Amino acid sequence: MKKKDAVILWRLFYIFFKAGTFTFAGGLAMLPVIEKDIVEKYKILDKDSFMEYATLSQTLPGVIALNCASFVGYSAAGIIGMLVAGLGAVFSSFVLMVVATILLQRVAQEGALAGAFRGIRAASSALILSAAFSLGRYNLKSRFAVIVMISAFMMVAFGQVSALFVVIMAGVAGYIYQNVKNKIRGDKRI
Amino acid sequence: MITELMELFLSFLKIGFAGFGGGYAMLSMILSESHKFGITLEQFADLNALDMIVPGPIAINAATYVGYLSEGFWGALFATVGVSLPSFILVVLVMRFFSRYRESHLVNDILSGIKPAAVGLIAAAALTIALGIILLPGQQISNLFSDPLGTVSFVSLIIFVVTAFLNIKFDLNPILLTLIAGIVGTICLK
Repeated sequence: MKKKDAVILWRLFYIFFKAGTFTFAGGLAMLPVIEKDIVEKYKILDKDSFMEYATLSQTLPGVIALNCASFVGYSAAGIIGMLVAGLGAVFSSFVLMVVATILLQRVAQEGALAGAFRGIRAASSALILSAAFSLGRYNLKSRFAVIVMISAFMMVAFGQVSALFVVIMAGVAGYIYQNVKNKIRGDKRI
Repeated sequence: MITELMELFLSFLKIGFAGFGGGYAMLSMILSESHKFGITLEQFADLNALDMIVPGPIAINAATYVGYLSEGFWGALFATVGVSLPSFILVVLVMRFFSRYRESHLVNDILSGIKPAAVGLIAAAALTIALGIILLPGQQISNLFSDPLGTVSFVSLIIFVVTAFLNIKFDLNPILLTLIAGIVGTICLK
């Protein structure tokens, strides 16, 4: 391996490792941190390509931060670059979560701490609800979107339908709705 | 052991491929598959609390946690590899074959259904977890009207409502809210 290749691989690992270690509450929060390193500091990609990859990362299914690492890694150094950047993005999360899970199991959840855990769990489920609200602010801008949201909610919460199935159905519904809408409007899309 | 590991791997692979809409949407899919791995609602609520202190993508944290609780270290590894693999596969496909992926109407049409559905899925996950936390052990929601005091834990209910309100309405820091809930729980819940 040439020295230059090793340097770029190390940088890819380092950038995504750093982003994965020092950002909390999900992959989206990582993007601005990564952008600064990739575009300004190490000049691995120009800003336009990075922004395109960042958008693509959110469009594809899967872990957003990992999608982003894979795009950047692949375009900078091929398959090896993709794997190295991807490993960097998930490494801390994996190791620290294993440690946290072991510690959590060691903590006696009885006695004095039982109440604390019950309080934390109630707050924790409230924060998931709050995540639905903040996502809803951006994604519920049409009557169609509201109907899909409510149907998905009802099916999973009261109908025992699997979430995976609902996602597939929602994708089909979106495809049909957009095409019917465009037929009615008579728009010719390129 | 091998069967369980393969089941973890395949479940998380499926979730990765269908995982549109970021970490919380995937969390709701993991919840709907979690009965296979013997994860309780309490453990799910703990996961969300851990997400705040463990950095990195939510889906990676969740896969590691569920995998570890189910089958130890190897379970964590198989689940994490499963949820990560779709990113690598899809990114390679996109880079090689779909240079105009971003302009593709097909993807945007499908996403117009999936994004609002993700909001509904997350809300449903929040409700499922919250009910598991707020209802007293062995109680059903149908008993709520005949015997409210014997059915729900009012302290948990109040923590849930107040946390959701303060976070959604005033954007109060989730870690702070969780800490306060823990303290309130220590004092008022046993």
